[in-house]
Amino acid sequence: MNPAASVTTERRRMGGGAARVAACAGVIGALGLAAGVLLGRRAGWDAFFRSYLLNYCFVLSLALGALFFVLLQHLTRAGWSVSLRRLAEFVAATMPLLAVLFLPLLVPLLTGMSAVWAWASPDAVAQDASGVLRHKQPYLNVPFFIVRAVIYFAVWAGLARYFLRKSVAQDATGDPRLTLRMQWWSAPGMLLYALTATFFAIDALMSLNPHWYSTIFGLYFFSGCVVGFFALLALLAYGVQRTGGLTQSIPVEHFHDIGKLTFGFVVFWAYIAFSQYLLTWYADIPEETAWYRPRQGDTWWIGVSLALLFGHFVAPFVALLSRWPKRRTGLLAAAGAWLLVMHWLDLYYLAAPAGASGLAATDVSLFVGLGGVFVFAIVRRMTRSALLPERDPRLGEALALQNV
Amino acid sequence: MNGATKATEPPGLSPESRAPSPEPCALLVEFDSPGALLTAAEQVRDAGYTKWDTHSPYPVHGIDEAMGVRPTRLPWLILALGVLGCAGGLLLQWWTNATDARQFGFVPVNFKGYAFPISGKPTFSLPANIPVIFEMTVLLAALGAFFGMLVTNNLPLFHRPLLVQPRFRRVTRDRFFLVIDAADPLFDAQRTAAWLGTLGGAPAEPVEQPESPRRLPRAVGIGGLIVACLALLPPLFIAKARVSLSTKPRIHLIQDMANQERFKAQQAQPLFADGRELRPQVPGTLARGDPGAPGHEDPHFYTGQTGEQSSSFAVPEFATTFPPQVEITEPLLRRGQERFNVYCAPCHGLGGAGDGIVAQRATDLGTPGWVPPSAIATDPTVLERPHGHIFNTITNGIRTMPPYGDQIPAVDRWAILAYVRALQRSQQARLEDVPAELRPELR
Repeated sequence: MNPAASVTTERRRMGGGAARVAACAGVIGALGLAAGVLLGRRAGWDAFFRSYLLNYCFVLSLALGALFFVLLQHLTRAGWSVSLRRLAEFVAATMPLLAVLFLPLLVPLLTGMSAVWAWASPDAVAQDASGVLRHKQPYLNVPFFIVRAVIYFAVWAGLARYFLRKSVAQDATGDPRLTLRMQWWSAPGMLLYALTATFFAIDALMSLNPHWYSTIFGLYFFSGCVVGFFALLALLAYGVQRTGGLTQSIPVEHFHDIGKLTFGFVVFWAYIAFSQYLLTWYADIPEETAWYRPRQGDTWWIGVSLALLFGHFVAPFVALLSRWPKRRTGLLAAAGAWLLVMHWLDLYYLAAPAGASGLAATDVSLFVGLGGVFVFAIVRRMTRSALLPERDPRLGEALALQNV
Repeated sequence: MNGATKATEPPGLSPESRAPSPEPCALLVEFDSPGALLTAAEQVRDAGYTKWDTHSPYPVHGIDEAMGVRPTRLPWLILALGVLGCAGGLLLQWWTNATDARQFGFVPVNFKGYAFPISGKPTFSLPANIPVIFEMTVLLAALGAFFGMLVTNNLPLFHRPLLVQPRFRRVTRDRFFLVIDAADPLFDAQRTAAWLGTLGGAPAEPVEQPESPRRLPRAVGIGGLIVACLALLPPLFIAKARVSLSTKPRIHLIQDMANQERFKAQQAQPLFADGRELRPQVPGTLARGDPGAPGHEDPHFYTGQTGEQSSSFAVPEFATTFPPQVEITEPLLRRGQERFNVYCAPCHGLGGAGDGIVAQRATDLGTPGWVPPSAIATDPTVLERPHGHIFNTITNGIRTMPPYGDQIPAVDRWAILAYVRALQRSQQARLEDVPAELRPELR
């Protein structure tokens, strides 16, 4: 029996309005980027590239979370999530575009600007009295960084394209062997993903403070990626349903499960963030506390830290604890929007220069710019294929999902 | 399989063969699909029955709604216990880490907290407390979930009449059952049975009250009582030990570090050729005070004493001058100040008034045997002591003050002495000692 036959009245492709949404997002994104460049010329390129890195990491982290979700569903042979998986595949499929958007970040590397990655500047390395930067040169140097970045994006773009293509191919043929092939590749894919995501976090974000180190940092970044992605997934599913798509394939049960996973990863994020903090606090070693010191230094940064504690953990923990809000799609989408803001703030906490107080104009304009381009890419890709893997052999399981 | 075949035989267990049919304690209906069970459950729910249940080999989706089961109240219990664990963990840490023996006089001393400063951390601080709070929250919430589930399900239940019903055995394989308890207010053995027959399952079958006694066998109760009494013995022994005196050394379940395995000086030791554990000294070893050891060739510099010491019982003669190789200069005084602040100030205080932090705390706690340190800057006895005498005190200690001869080299001890003299001078200063240009600043 074809399980898809049991639901017939819903729309499984994007409607005509999608092209308009994509165009709007694209225009807004382009305007945001242009405004960012103009503001950057006025405010200085140091601030521009820091803001670019922050917002770039934001959109990249959402795509990384989506890639994790896709890999995980295949790895665990999950049935419940089949009707959501295509949405994640769309988000992950922005990887080639994100690889291109990474190119501007080579400018501060190649010109040796010390304000972004201090280790990329020969002067900063030479003047470093502690000798730590010189000691880390074999890893933290520009050519090796670029080689690693090429590897990361090759892995991510390769995995994202592979899983979307095979899945779309199954829409046409219904061949169950494709499912087995994707399942086989998900295991090595997950290993590669774990390594590349960890090292990317170290390279792009941890090395902003090259004297500092934290062995849990990769996991910290990853946990934020997954929280951000589930927040985005709730919003995407809600948005698609508001425009009349997938109204039966994504019943409230799926929202309930997205809510549970969001809740779980919110706690996981807090657990990891606190683990890093507690060990640093307790050991009280100058080379570790140096990272937290400016982040607890003035009113602005104390405010950011407390906003993360309460906004990224306590509030969503309480809000998502019970069953009721997780089964209200509108409420869950609102929680998703809130958590996306908090996830951005979390990356601000990691990526903003320690001396900065308050938001820079470039932070906001580049958020609009890169966010707009990101939404544009997702929605445009959504218009080209069905919104769920229509002939996946496990679709029936997903449609029968019930939370006991 | 053996049990299953036996179960299908209808010997004396069949209700019809029983002569006087007693009142059934429940009625049992068998269905062969989950769908039929769901439909029947909805009808029983709508008929208004309250004491009934369904049984199936696996969880049936939608059975909660079909039976009209209220959402479980267990989460509230779990939440309450979680909050309790959270607050309890916080309170425990506050009590043990941030209060001490001087507070809360009404509390017995065995239950007092220990507010010890450890590596400069605050005694009460949230970051350090979170792991314990977290564990306590999880522990109590998990215990609440487990025992709450048991209690709300009326478990453990040692015997159910249903379980001896031969037909009911298939509930773990491929049959679905609906049971209405006779305690239900709407229950009527004949009418209910007839009505249940119309629900689409097999005809209703009465479940009989088993003849076995409902009460626990007496042996179980007695056994439990004996175990409970025996369990009281260890706490009783502990309580007795706490209030009584004993001449025997106490039992160490976990050995103190002092009781470790080690060789003793006079033991035999096959490891060495001479069979002795105690090794002879390396040739050329000097004991303290031997001719040739430091201090012997220059007693003034090393001991602060002058003249030959005929025996250790002779009254020592203390030097009244600094030894010739110690020159009183500003660097020497600064060195003395620095060493004084390291070694002496914790007890004697930075100004030599006998008010160091150790002295203050020991006085506060009323430590038995504690002799307060001298106010070395003002105490007339100390002021009158010759240089050599104070040097001797630093070297060998006095009363509760330990000897510092091994920790501080002789030249630093002389530097400390010089600084002590400077402190004393500062406390006995006259107006003429103040430089003329600074005198207007004095009041």
